Amino acid sequence: MNYHFGRGFSRWIPYLLLLPGILLYFVIALGPSIATSIYSFTDATGLKGAPVNWVGLDNYREFLLLGQAAKNNLAVLGRTLIFSVLVSSIQFVLGLLFALVLNQRLWGRNVVRTLVFMPVILGAVIQGLIWSLFLYPLGGPAAKLLELVGLKSQFLGGSPMEAFLWVVVVQIWANLGVTMIIFLAGLQTIPSEYYEAASIDGASGWQAFKNVTWPLLTPSVNTNILLNVIGSLQAWQLFLVLIGYRAGTQVLGYLIYATGFGAAGSLTQSFRQGYAAAASIVLFILVLIIGMTIQTYLRRREERIMA
Amino acid sequence: MNSPISRQRRPINWGKVASYALMMVMALVYLGPLLMLLNTSLKTMPSFSRDATALATELNFQNFAEAWKRANFPRYLLNSIIYTAASTTIFIITGLFVAFPIARKYVKGAGFLLTLYVIALFLPPALIPQFQLILNLGLYNTPHGFILLFVVNAVGIVILVSSIKSIPKELDEAAALDGCGYVRFVWSIILPLLRPAIATVVVLHAIGVWNEIITPTIYLTNEKYYPITRGLIVFQGVYGSQWPTLAAAVLMLTLPMLVLFLFLQRYIVSGLTAGAVKG
Repeated sequence: MNYHFGRGFSRWIPYLLLLPGILLYFVIALGPSIATSIYSFTDATGLKGAPVNWVGLDNYREFLLLGQAAKNNLAVLGRTLIFSVLVSSIQFVLGLLFALVLNQRLWGRNVVRTLVFMPVILGAVIQGLIWSLFLYPLGGPAAKLLELVGLKSQFLGGSPMEAFLWVVVVQIWANLGVTMIIFLAGLQTIPSEYYEAASIDGASGWQAFKNVTWPLLTPSVNTNILLNVIGSLQAWQLFLVLIGYRAGTQVLGYLIYATGFGAAGSLTQSFRQGYAAAASIVLFILVLIIGMTIQTYLRRREERIMA
Repeated sequence: MNSPISRQRRPINWGKVASYALMMVMALVYLGPLLMLLNTSLKTMPSFSRDATALATELNFQNFAEAWKRANFPRYLLNSIIYTAASTTIFIITGLFVAFPIARKYVKGAGFLLTLYVIALFLPPALIPQFQLILNLGLYNTPHGFILLFVVNAVGIVILVSSIKSIPKELDEAAALDGCGYVRFVWSIILPLLRPAIATVVVLHAIGVWNEIITPTIYLTNEKYYPITRGLIVFQGVYGSQWPTLAAAVLMLTLPMLVLFLFLQRYIVSGLTAGAVKG
């Protein structure tokens, strides 16, 4: 590209001004991200000045292979996958349904769109606290509803399985707005003439969806699948706010945090940061494999549709 | 054909009915928890214990005063505002001078640099080395160390680059011919033209910093540095069973966000859908 703003020293000005931003990005984000793999081969503790030794593959061996702890870790891995599958599939279907409904000319649709999107801005802490109150076991709204059908529940304080499923619910509630908005943006790019043509040809609502909407929605479908799957594999903030670090409910992101910094979140003792870094790499590999597989599949599907 | 009689004969559009029914359910699911929060915040503790969901009969604004007084919220709010404003300002200024030359290919390896930002989504969590870095720089438990962690945003750079590409390149040439320098061009011509994209990126970044809970839990142990999210969690730890006070606290922090959201909604939406529908 031709540069118009002078020669000689002036030619270096873009580089000079680019430098602070790039340096910050390398030092704060990219560098540490890459350094995680190096830390995963050490016994770093998180105490200032403590010696850091090279331990080779020990952390990985311990994480995946050694005794009961490794069994628990594999259960955590499995739970992370279940969380991701549940959240991304339900969020996808509901997000599409909501978008289709709210894309019609209905009275009050903008209000409902805003409402569904609202939790996105509130953040995990407020989302979590609002739901803790809604799921108040001693006569809160959810408990009252259950009472109507003669059931009782401790909700977030109940069995690990139940608490886990409630986090799935809140996670979907909180992020559905993003999925819906991306679908709505996609729907608005479909020219209305296509629907007119379909209706002249006598297509039913379902046929119009199958042959017009669904194929033309491919870009938003791809974006939503990738964002939701990767996002839900890495998500764990709501676990922190809603139930804390509780056996039988943990997902990998939370395990990394708890081993690296302590479940209570205070640095009064040394923690196993090398081990936590190894767990981070396991999560990274999981995200990479699943992300790449989905990406490849979606690209093939898109080529098939466009052909 | 438009007589009332023929209109009566038109069959009921069941699709519309179902759509409205679904909309009602959606509204309820999203409004319900908020209304419960509002209702609880107006009740006294005894009446909450007696019946948690009954409508508040008395307007017990005491809860708000108590939460505000006990929780040190003014301090936390001020901290949150400082963290958010400082990190967003630094990010936008440095980010603009990263995004512009990359978008225009005014620096060598522009494509490669952009890739480094695009892959950020897939990279391993930086949590552990970041902590070691801050610790060894002596910035642990300091406000500026905390701010430093939020002065980069890869997604923001990607959005800025693609928006700058939509500004015609002829503008650069014309401005340069008129003797406009690089810095002045970026600052007083590109920046104003980029206002919608900047607004989007600012809003997305600021919301992220404001709502962050993990980072303050790891890095800030001194209570006087707590942002509002951490303050709320600590407050919940102390007043966890006193829902009326806790609800008042949550509501006080939710309302300003909701009002702000109504004004900024379109920027948030355009940021989240940027590039999502083009394929």
